[in-house]
Amino acid sequence: MSDHDSELGAHGGVTPGRFYGHGLPYVSINDYPGKIIAIEGTDGVGRSTQIALLREWLEVRGYGVVETGWTRSALMQPTITLAKSSNTLNKLTFVLLYACDFADRLEKEIIPALKAGFIVLADRYIFTALARAGVRDVDREWIRQLYGFAIAPHQVFYLKIDAEALARRVLQAGGMEYWESGMDLKAGDDIYDNFRNYQRQLLKEYSAMADEFGFRVIDGRKSIGAIQEELRRQIGEFLEPPPIEKPADAVAQEPGPGSL
Amino acid sequence: MFVTEWNSSALVKAATKAGKKKNALTPMTFSLLHATDFADRLMYKIIPPLKAGMIVLADRYTYTAFARDAARNVDRQWVRDLYGFAVRPDRAVYFRVPIDTALDRLLARRVKLKFYEAGMDLGWSANPTESFRLFQSKVLEEYDRIVREHDLHVIDASASITDQQRLFRGLISDILEQKPV
Repeated sequence: MSDHDSELGAHGGVTPGRFYGHGLPYVSINDYPGKIIAIEGTDGVGRSTQIALLREWLEVRGYGVVETGWTRSALMQPTITLAKSSNTLNKLTFVLLYACDFADRLEKEIIPALKAGFIVLADRYIFTALARAGVRDVDREWIRQLYGFAIAPHQVFYLKIDAEALARRVLQAGGMEYWESGMDLKAGDDIYDNFRNYQRQLLKEYSAMADEFGFRVIDGRKSIGAIQEELRRQIGEFLEPPPIEKPADAVAQEPGPGSL
Repeated sequence: MFVTEWNSSALVKAATKAGKKKNALTPMTFSLLHATDFADRLMYKIIPPLKAGMIVLADRYTYTAFARDAARNVDRQWVRDLYGFAVRPDRAVYFRVPIDTALDRLLARRVKLKFYEAGMDLGWSANPTESFRLFQSKVLEEYDRIVREHDLHVIDASASITDQQRLFRGLISDILEQKPV
């Protein structure tokens, strides 16, 4: 990619499978056969469940699948966990630690998988970082340049949900936690209010990005089965055009959530 | 007066140490970890003393990252944009030394060259000394570019320490006399 093209930064209009911006000049990713499918959405919206089901479905169809998830890099996970439990993180180091985690997974997991023709199921992608940074008033242009080393996914699904429904779901699942509630923003001591306000702001950021990055928006309030059906339909059409047969039946016959 | 050194923040020490030990860092993660370290020091160790009217002496600054990361073939402009949050120093001084002098000085002090310092991660040579020469030559080339781009003041570091210090003090005095301390 020429310097001129890369000036586009992370804005839309980038061919899937190519770098958003300046990329990694020391890595050539042209014509790698694998695909990246990213599932985005706030905490508690059900991404992991959907990914486990998708993985099983894809593997049964003979695809090699690699999963990658936010802050799961071998290099950065201990540091991020430690940093989150202390009070020393500021918005800048927060952003940079996440970027480093993403870079490690990109180079150690995602790119090798693409090269080998795997489907990479990404539980969150760079958009989570962009949304969180957006809420914290990190310069938009700067963070888009920063993530210019990321590869544009082939499909991005955004599981959309409203802050109130999300609050109920998160409470049922075990409660609100410090970072999910944006407590670092120091808006007050009431965790419920903070959670709702923070998640509302995040949702606004995601909505703004839906156009910018061409998200496929799915209603996250629907049942697990209905969401999975929609995901399978769209992924199926992408991987095996013309559309595969009766995805609805496939869902109905599956024995519940995946074993992962 | 306050002194801050490159790569010294507690925040990323564990990750940097682990990554270096296992030789697990890529040019990109190497770059981002050092940027995180710098950001942490900027917020806690550089900006507060500046606000208090102190002089911050930084042993290496963003230019080190510009030079090393570009030598590892990370995009030059990307690294410069990455450090867009940094405070521009009032004076930046580059101590320039020929590659052979640098190598002699390091080898005289130490038994072994460090893996990343010698650019061994790039796989250009299995011989540490040769790898160091190749990698650091590229780093020096990048510095020359940075000197032009950012108006760094160059001091010949092969001169005697007394001469270097005289020049260095001159450069610093100039700027201190321009503004009240």
